This record gives sequence, structure tokens and C-alpha cells, in this order.
Amino acid sequence: MNGPNVNDMALLLPELILIGTALAFILASRRIETSSLVTRVTVLASIASVLASRWVLGFDYVEGFGGMIIVDGYSQFFKVLIASALAVVALLSMNRIDAEHVRAGEFLALLLLASTGMMLAASARDLLTLYLGLELTTICSYILVGITVEKPASNEASIKYFLLGSFASALLLYGISLTYGVTGTTDFAKISLALRDNDLGGNKILLAAMGLLAGGLAFKISAFPFHAWAPDAYQGASAPVAAFLATASKAAGLAAVGRVCLVAFGSEAYVLSVVLAGLAALSIIVGTVIAMAQTDMKRLLAYSSIAHAGYALLGLVCGTTDGASATMTYAFLYVFMTLGAFGIVIALGDRGETLNGYLGLAEQRPRTAALMLLFLLSLTGIPPTAGFVAKFVVIQSLVDTGQVALVSLAVLAVGCSVVSAFVYLRVAVLMYMKEPQELEPARCPLAVSAALAVAALVTVIGGIFPGILTDWAVAPL
Amino acid sequence: MNEYMGIAVCFALAGVITGGMIVLASTLGKKKPSAVKSAPFECGVNPIALPGGKLAIKFYLTAILFILFDVELVFLYPWAVVFRSLGTVGLVEMGVFLGILMVGYIYAWDNGALKWQ
Repeated sequence: MNGPNVNDMALLLPELILIGTALAFILASRRIETSSLVTRVTVLASIASVLASRWVLGFDYVEGFGGMIIVDGYSQFFKVLIASALAVVALLSMNRIDAEHVRAGEFLALLLLASTGMMLAASARDLLTLYLGLELTTICSYILVGITVEKPASNEASIKYFLLGSFASALLLYGISLTYGVTGTTDFAKISLALRDNDLGGNKILLAAMGLLAGGLAFKISAFPFHAWAPDAYQGASAPVAAFLATASKAAGLAAVGRVCLVAFGSEAYVLSVVLAGLAALSIIVGTVIAMAQTDMKRLLAYSSIAHAGYALLGLVCGTTDGASATMTYAFLYVFMTLGAFGIVIALGDRGETLNGYLGLAEQRPRTAALMLLFLLSLTGIPPTAGFVAKFVVIQSLVDTGQVALVSLAVLAVGCSVVSAFVYLRVAVLMYMKEPQELEPARCPLAVSAALAVAALVTVIGGIFPGILTDWAVAPL
Repeated sequence: MNEYMGIAVCFALAGVITGGMIVLASTLGKKKPSAVKSAPFECGVNPIALPGGKLAIKFYLTAILFILFDVELVFLYPWAVVFRSLGTVGLVEMGVFLGILMVGYIYAWDNGALKWQ
């Protein structure tokens, strides 16, 4: 093992940019009056972070910090995704946090630090780094959910999220310690070597370790049966925070699941694919069915995000590199269409929170309604939107394996996708076929419009030119 | 498994002895119950009562700040032991670590967490 090396710091350039910005905001937090300047700085920092991830560091495989951190195509893909989601969420939150009397400096500093944690998790090459990254993310998220202290619902959501979240973190830690007990290491590559050399295939403690790890990570992506926190947390939290949890947080969780399954436990792919198939199938069914009964828009999107977590896991169920890159594509496109849907909720203000607020929206705000329709079609998975491409690649990766069980899982996914059309198009019916009952919503701020434009652009381009993304989504080795 | 045998025997003995004492005391001992004796013993505190009085949040703040800087000190000890082998890089990294903690300290100070009103 090498000693510490200052050059390793350069590998964390995208994270360092975000951390530096966050520290500056914390220092100045009392003197920051409104969100306009700090939001601009956050957006610039996240763009710098995207550029640093994509072009300064590149996609070559480099290890750092004695093998704790890795920079490769997989980590950089997710870092670009997380930093772009951060920029969009910052834009979405710009006017909202001032209206909700939240201190902008603190809010954005927490957002930046949470994103840093996600990026570290995507770069982790060791279970402990992974845990540290995810924990940094969740601790910031607990505070972000409860940051609107004047709203009792927000406090309640924060406490619920915190209690369930610490439970999930404990599961993850138990899994890590059992893995260490069986293999004698927490390093992904060494775990994989130890499993192969010592023929630990049927080891019962190893099974327990993998189960606990899968449970802890499933909580982060809110897959059934670890989904219960999501609807309450999203409903209680301020809409931009809910958007952040539903998108960036979930992408980071998927990045972690992908690397743990493929790199560390690659030799146990069969066991893991059974566990993941169960999580995925149940998430899709439960998320879709319960979403039908929702009348609160954020709860509806929460159940939708549970179902989408299931779809995204389908790629990892295959245990192949093609499957993993399908999951990566899914994560990328899902993030932008969900950000778009939450963006419309934010653009409509209080009216956007309930389903009834969408009655007759097309008459009052034709362009907002059209954008919402685009995101809803994409969430359903109708061509030529990005949602179709996303579902197509994961289902194709299942069918390509040719195994009966996996093909029937694909059939289930397609079936639930049809059912989900009812969930999403119900909102479209309210917008286009009903009379408006409420006053016209206030004009949408420029920052929110910009964020919506970015989300819409990715949703359209991702649907028409899927090749750009699928070439770029390279599974970890 | 052999190395754990001693611990297992110790657990078994502890269980048998304490269990035996409880069983013997409850079967052989004389019983003269009274209201005071039947109450659960909690160091003289009334076992069932509504939460009494308010506690100022400043105690909580001070405690959390103490924990924060206490943990910082704990990290300094092992670092000091291996300081020479880590060299300049170790010094720089500890500087970064302390710098980040200082940001938190300044934040707490700036926002009046250290004021004892």
C-alpha cells in the first residue's frame, strides 16, 4: 500500500470544487440575504464540476488514496449526472427558498455537500469509502428535508426520514462488517479475489452480508420493501429538495449498487440477481399500483420514483456489463425527466402540489401544460421521449440473456409500464380535458424556466438520439 | 470454535447462577408486599410522570459543539504518533482537516452558538 500522495487530491477535483464552494457559503451564511447570487455561484460550480469530471480527468482508470478512490468511466458518468442534477435543482430552488424563509447560504451549502457525498460514493473502491460518501449524502438530506422549519409537515418528514435512514445505515454497516469477517477486506477488488480463491460461494455468513448490503443500498434508492420513507419525505420536504432526493440521490444509490454487485460480488452474480429481481419486481408493482390512488402530486411522483427504481434495477439483475450500462442509461434519462416533472410542480407554486391544481391547466398555461405532458409521456415510456429509450434498453438487456425467469420479469415490467400510463395520463386528462377551477398561477420565474428547458432538452434529445448516451455508459470492470 | 468455548462456559455459568438466585429468592423468600415495595425502583424518581419543565436549547448546542471538537482531538492523537512517517503530506492533510473544522467553528461563532444568554 502506498503512502499518502498529494497528487491524489487532483483525482477529487470535481468534489473539491463543490466542497470549496460549500465552505465559502457556510462562512458567509449569515451575510447572504437572498438566493440570487449564491444560486448563480452554485450553478457555475456544478458546471465546473461537470467539466472537471468529463474533460479534465477523463475516463481513464486511475486509483488513488491507496486504492480507496477510483476514477473511471463509470464514476465520471455518474459524477457528470449528479453535478448536472445539482445545477438544475439549484435553479429550481432559487426563488422558492426565499419565499419559504430558508437561509440560502445554508441550503445551498447542504445541497453541495450532499452532492459531494454522492460523487464520492460513485468513486468508491472500498466499502468504507462507499459508506462514508452515502452517509455524507443522507445526513445532509435529513437536514434538507427539515430545512423549512416553519412547516410542521417538514419537521415530521425529517424525523421519519432520519429514523428509517439510520436503520438502513445500520443494515449497511452490518453488511460491511460481515463481509469483512468473511473475506478479511473491505476493498472491492480484494473481496472479489477472496471470494474466488477461497471458494466461499455457499457461505451462509456471506449470504447474510450480501442481503444486508442489498437492504441498506435498496433504502438509498427507495426500492420496495425499503421505500416507506420516500412518500412522506417527499411530501413534507420543500419541492426542490424532493426533486433532489428523487433524482441525484437515487442515481448515487444506483451507482453504489452497480459497483458493489459487479466488482465486489461479481462471482456471486446468481444470488444477487435473485435478490435484485425480487426488489425490482416488487418495486415496479407496488410503486405503480399505489401511485394510482394518490391525490398529492409529490406523493404520486414519490411512488413513481419507487417504480422507476425497480425499472433501473432490471439492468443490474442480468449481472452483465450490458445490463449495467442499461441501468446507467436509465439513471441518466430518469434523472432529467423527473427533474422536469418536479420543475412543473415548483413552477405552479402551491397549486402544483395537489392533483386538482392541474385541472384545466392547458387553457390557462398552454406551454407549461405541454411541457408537463412531455415529462409525463416520458415517465410512462412512450416514444419518441427519453423514457421509452430508458425502458427499452433495460428490458432489452433482460431479453438478451434468454433465460426464462428474466424474460418473464421483462414481460412483467412491460405490463406494469402499460398500467403506469393510467397514473401519468390521468394528470394529462386533468390538464387537457377539464375546466379550470383555480386562478391562473403566477408567472414562472426565469431560473425555473431555464431548469425546465434543460430537462426538456435532455428528455427530447435522449429520446431521439439514444446512441450518444448508450456509447458513453460504460460498466465498471 | 474451541477458542470461544471459555466464553460460552462463562455465559452459561452466569445464566445459571443469576437465574438460580432469582428462582430461589422468589420461591423460598418471605413476601410482605406493600404499595411502595411493588413500585418499580428507579432511584427515587416517580416512574410515571409527564415530562417536567423545559430545558434550554443552549445546553444541547454546547454539548454538540463539545462533541465536534472532542472528536477532532481524538483524530490528532494517532496522527501525532505516526507524524514522522507521514511527512509533509500528513501535515498538509491535517491542516486541511483542521481548516474544514475551523469553518464549522467560525459558523457556530458567527451565528451566536457560543453566546451564553
